Amino acid sequence: MSTFRLERRLEADARQAALTRIGGAVAAMILSGLLLLLTGRNAFSIFWEALDAIFGSQRGIEGVALRAIPILMTALAVALSLRMRIWNIGSDGQFLFGAFAAVGVGIHMGGPGWLVLIVMALAATAAGAVWILVPAFARAYWDVNEIITTLLLNFVAVQLVAWASLGFWRDSEAAVTQSTEAVPYTLADLPGTDRLSIGLLVPFVLAGILWWIFRSTTIGYEIDTIGGNPRAAAFAGIRVRRRILLVMLATGGIAGLGGMLQLSAPGAQTLNSGFSAQFGLSGFIVAALAGAAFMGVIGGGLFIASMFYAGLVLQTKGLSVYIIFGIYGLILTGIALGEVAARYRLVRTQEAVAGEAVPA
Amino acid sequence: MILALIDNAFLSLIGTAIPASTVVVLAATGAMLGERVGVLNLGQEGLIGIGAVYAVIAVQTWGVSSPWVALLIGMVAAAVAGTLFAIAVVFFRANQVLVGLALALGGIGLSNQLGTNRNGTPITTLFREVNPGGGLDDGGILEAFLHHDPVVYVAYLFLPAVLWFVLTRTRHGMNMRAVGENPAAADAVGVSVVWSRLGYTILGAAISGAGGAYMVLSFTPTWSPDIARGRGWVALAVVIFASWKPGRVVAGALLYGTMISLGTTAQARGWNLPFLGSSDLSFFLSMLPYLVTLVAILIPAGAAKIGRRVRSNRAPAALAVPYSREER
Repeated sequence: MSTFRLERRLEADARQAALTRIGGAVAAMILSGLLLLLTGRNAFSIFWEALDAIFGSQRGIEGVALRAIPILMTALAVALSLRMRIWNIGSDGQFLFGAFAAVGVGIHMGGPGWLVLIVMALAATAAGAVWILVPAFARAYWDVNEIITTLLLNFVAVQLVAWASLGFWRDSEAAVTQSTEAVPYTLADLPGTDRLSIGLLVPFVLAGILWWIFRSTTIGYEIDTIGGNPRAAAFAGIRVRRRILLVMLATGGIAGLGGMLQLSAPGAQTLNSGFSAQFGLSGFIVAALAGAAFMGVIGGGLFIASMFYAGLVLQTKGLSVYIIFGIYGLILTGIALGEVAARYRLVRTQEAVAGEAVPA
Repeated sequence: MILALIDNAFLSLIGTAIPASTVVVLAATGAMLGERVGVLNLGQEGLIGIGAVYAVIAVQTWGVSSPWVALLIGMVAAAVAGTLFAIAVVFFRANQVLVGLALALGGIGLSNQLGTNRNGTPITTLFREVNPGGGLDDGGILEAFLHHDPVVYVAYLFLPAVLWFVLTRTRHGMNMRAVGENPAAADAVGVSVVWSRLGYTILGAAISGAGGAYMVLSFTPTWSPDIARGRGWVALAVVIFASWKPGRVVAGALLYGTMISLGTTAQARGWNLPFLGSSDLSFFLSMLPYLVTLVAILIPAGAAKIGRRVRSNRAPAALAVPYSREER
């Protein structure tokens, strides 16, 4: 008679871990569907409608791609910090402050459009880095845990943007809208699309650059070493504090640039307090799902962006945004449990006589 | 005359800060309890929501007429959520940050969903204020401190005192600290790491849930969406500020509460300053509690680094590190 037994692996291999994480996420989604069934909604028919809404038309696919841009940017930011085991939970704040800086440049600077857009991008990147500056210094030099410090600044950023959109940068022409003036510059269209700009290319290029840095350069190797064991890295002569500072500023900068890309997307162009529709959170989920692998982020980001878009479709079908929060929670739990599962493997053992010990 | 005015403003500030930060005191105490045994529960924001919504449901749907029973129901609901969290991170050793965020999200989603049709409905089963000072305080400085409901006294005095005593003066407390500092050593002397982590994580979740229940049963006696409004995250920051000590949790929470009531006081009194082209300070005042909380974390950390007083201020060494006997 044969039975199954869980055996602990010494080292979970990366592919196995990726598969179990994805498995955990998918299981969580199926579970959410079943829970929705319990509340009397036919989740699976809604699911098919959402799928149809996404893949049935060019509009749907473009809608996903449009939402993928900010999610991919925050996900790359979070993934970069995770390589060093730094939890940047404040990418929403950096994203918002990046957009804030981009609006500031966009409505006040004159000159050729391409130049303004470049300055906007630089300002947004710098702003994102500035927004994480204090948590970064505190983490690098005072060992202050970054989880809470980065997160607290999200609340500050939301208030700052609300202030700008209702107060000092408020669009005084439109009395009803509560947003800033519109930035009169947008990125060039992506050929062959209706609503997409060349901004879509940025996260893909960035993922490639990050992948290359971590594959082929000393600095990438050092960051991974610190992520593996900071003490050993310090003994090996790596300047751990400086690397932490560099990575955290870069992670903020990437999230900030994401804010600029979102702002200069066709139809966006104005800033209000609802500007970051949980992009930081979605990016966090993507980075966790991808296990901080940059190429995995691209796949995971497109997947979560489709879910996000599906979520919008579902909202028109009476599914509240709160339920989507709950589903996000389940997916994160599924990823975390999947991560654990990768450390075990199911082995088949031969059991000769009941009660007799199985030879190792 | 001027002195009387300052006195008055200060007293009203403290008088509103105390109930405003009771939620944070309770959530921070709950979080600290788990962190002392090595479990980082980032789900406070969700636990507050769950505690609050179930207290509302208890009163409005189940007809509970005692605020204490409603508080208990909120605590039990948060404990159930805390149990799921604890099983995932203690039993299955899942990543505490991920599952904690999941609990925060799931709790916010669940509480808002359950509260959907309850927005703005007033809650009539409320805690009443008690005045342990008798008539001593009328018009005096004690007034701000002596007119609160019983939960406030429990949160500010009773709970911190009990926790301080247990943690620093009992063998059980020593074992708790050992589990948070060096679980392998605790295990070796026969302390059950798994059970104490499970137990205190769940108890901590219940206390955090009490914070949410308190909000709707006294502080803002009505349900509103996203009821925690960042207080759960502030509570986590307060734990760091407090260096994991029960007494300092109260001080940190009170600091936050003072910033919150500064905002309400400013609005009520119409303090307006032209600032960056905006005619009112409300946005700046809304940022202030988070900024002050951030600074409040940085100052002790910086002071500890500069003064080399690292040991007494640092986090439990095994915080957020899953314990596995096989990997000892």
